[in-house]
Amino acid sequence: MRLAGLAVLTALAGLSLFLGVSDLRPADLLTDPEARDLLWISRLPRTMAAVLAGAALAVTGQIMQVLARNRFIEPMTAGAGSSAALGVLLTTLLAPAAAIWVKMAAASFAALLGSLGLMALIRRLPPTDPLLVPLVALVYGGVIGAIVTFAAYQTDLIQYLGTWLTGELSGVLRGRYELLWLAAAATVAAWAIADRLTLLSLGEDTARSLGLNVQLVTAAGVVAISVVTAMVVVTVGAIPFVGLVVPNLIARSTGDNLRRALPLTALTGAILVLGADIAGRAVIAPYEVPVATMVALAGAVTFLVLLNRGAGRA
Amino acid sequence: MPTFRTLFPALAAAFLGAAGAQADPVTFDTARGEMTLPEVPERIVVLDIAALDSITALGVMPAGVIAPLYVDYLPEALEDATRVGSFFEPDFEAIAALAPDVIVVGARASTQVDALSRIAPVADMSIGTEVLAEGKARLHGFGAMLAREDKAAELAAALDDRLVALRPRVADQGGRALIIMTNGPKLSTFGANSRFGWLHRTLGFDMAVDDVDAGNHGDAVSFEFIAEADPDTLLIIDRGAAIGGGTEAAEATLDNPLVAGTRAARNGKVIYLAPAELYIASGGIQSLNRTLDELTAALGAE
Repeated sequence: MRLAGLAVLTALAGLSLFLGVSDLRPADLLTDPEARDLLWISRLPRTMAAVLAGAALAVTGQIMQVLARNRFIEPMTAGAGSSAALGVLLTTLLAPAAAIWVKMAAASFAALLGSLGLMALIRRLPPTDPLLVPLVALVYGGVIGAIVTFAAYQTDLIQYLGTWLTGELSGVLRGRYELLWLAAAATVAAWAIADRLTLLSLGEDTARSLGLNVQLVTAAGVVAISVVTAMVVVTVGAIPFVGLVVPNLIARSTGDNLRRALPLTALTGAILVLGADIAGRAVIAPYEVPVATMVALAGAVTFLVLLNRGAGRA
Repeated sequence: MPTFRTLFPALAAAFLGAAGAQADPVTFDTARGEMTLPEVPERIVVLDIAALDSITALGVMPAGVIAPLYVDYLPEALEDATRVGSFFEPDFEAIAALAPDVIVVGARASTQVDALSRIAPVADMSIGTEVLAEGKARLHGFGAMLAREDKAAELAAALDDRLVALRPRVADQGGRALIIMTNGPKLSTFGANSRFGWLHRTLGFDMAVDDVDAGNHGDAVSFEFIAEADPDTLLIIDRGAAIGGGTEAAEATLDNPLVAGTRAARNGKVIYLAPAELYIASGGIQSLNRTLDELTAALGAE
């Protein structure tokens, strides 16, 4: 399964490298320095951005679902996404001339603060009711989202923010996506503690009696989630459904053993986002459909099918 | 309840109007056809920036205007005008309290015409995608409405002079142009049918990409698209800066090898157009002049 997935991803990556507004054939790379520049400046970064963003979003979705013990939660809806948006908005208002990387750094910082706020909230909740966590997370995300919308409305930035935050890879170039490597590092770090996260899914008391430092592992998971979400939001925008649909698909076939599941989740997330970006570039070339729109289309259909099947089985 | 403070200007205006013997009805063209007012309006409420631009250029100060104004070139005297909401959400009570003779709306407030017309006659002075032609038509409309036809004709003639001077420069040096709007790190392009299409149609820039028929809001494109189009002129509008000065953000977005390799960048023909003039006050006589001046300066001497 992993090998098949890797083969699909490699094929898609090859397609992505040689599909674009300018003609670029593999043979040109040997002869034409301009073609090599194009590959190096535009095509490779874009392909890498899709792969990294897809893998990271899927993995953090799965981690959050384990932490919250709820299959219907993902970081984008739980405050991390809207906090990053708030960071973008504030820098735009306070320092409109700031370089893009400054805005990105500010947004990441805001997302971290937002996630820390969520952790502080969740810690006060009674441990007996696990459903409270995703609900509070949703409300929390909604409140921050409302603040962002209000501030954007007051300053007439709604449309601007909308475009900034729509998941889209058209602006990706060398030097414009490298923060995603940090997201990849956070993802790998999460994989390193996969066994401990798996223990958490048994419930806090069981995990604690098995010798797990529950708070430390939870904190590590939340930090990984917020770093990844912030990096993705500020680099390419919000991409819905990846963190929701992919973990659900994988959990159905492999279960919740994260050490086994996370590589597959990452692979599937990368395939989904890269495939969606290729499709978005192809349908109305030379213009583009945002990758978020394409993913939402594919994701919504998949999710409905999943829900339907689940109901049939039960 | 009207206080002395609000009533007094109205009374004064009524007396002055009578004394000025201007009780003849005025007829003028709007976006929805001809309109007649019983006399030259004294108390005007303006809910559109382009309209405000042209009215103040004619030397008339409205009694009520929307906020914020977005553009920075309107006369300071406007600060004395009452604020009556925004162009998407007019403050009906404030407008009614002013008891205006006429309410002027543009495209953004045109959905409110029915509700507003219960307060006072509403002149829809919207400007569509034929920005230059319609902007001039509205200017003449305002001239007739405010009994300042001469001033309007003078302003229109000055605009035409600018156009006559600019067109040959565009033909000589402009070549094939591409209109790009930057939005943070992302780009969209606008074609001849868009709200910025008049730059192509009226000024004579050729299209760098023939089949751009993107609608009013543009189409997302990549930097590769710009490199492949390789235009002679890049016309840049920074959506983010439309709300607060400077073109640095757009310059940062476009600072990359793909854009730098285009003919436009190599020949110094990457033109940053003031966004509020094109985006918010589009079609106002002063905004049109300012955009034409920017283009004239950027294209240099003949």
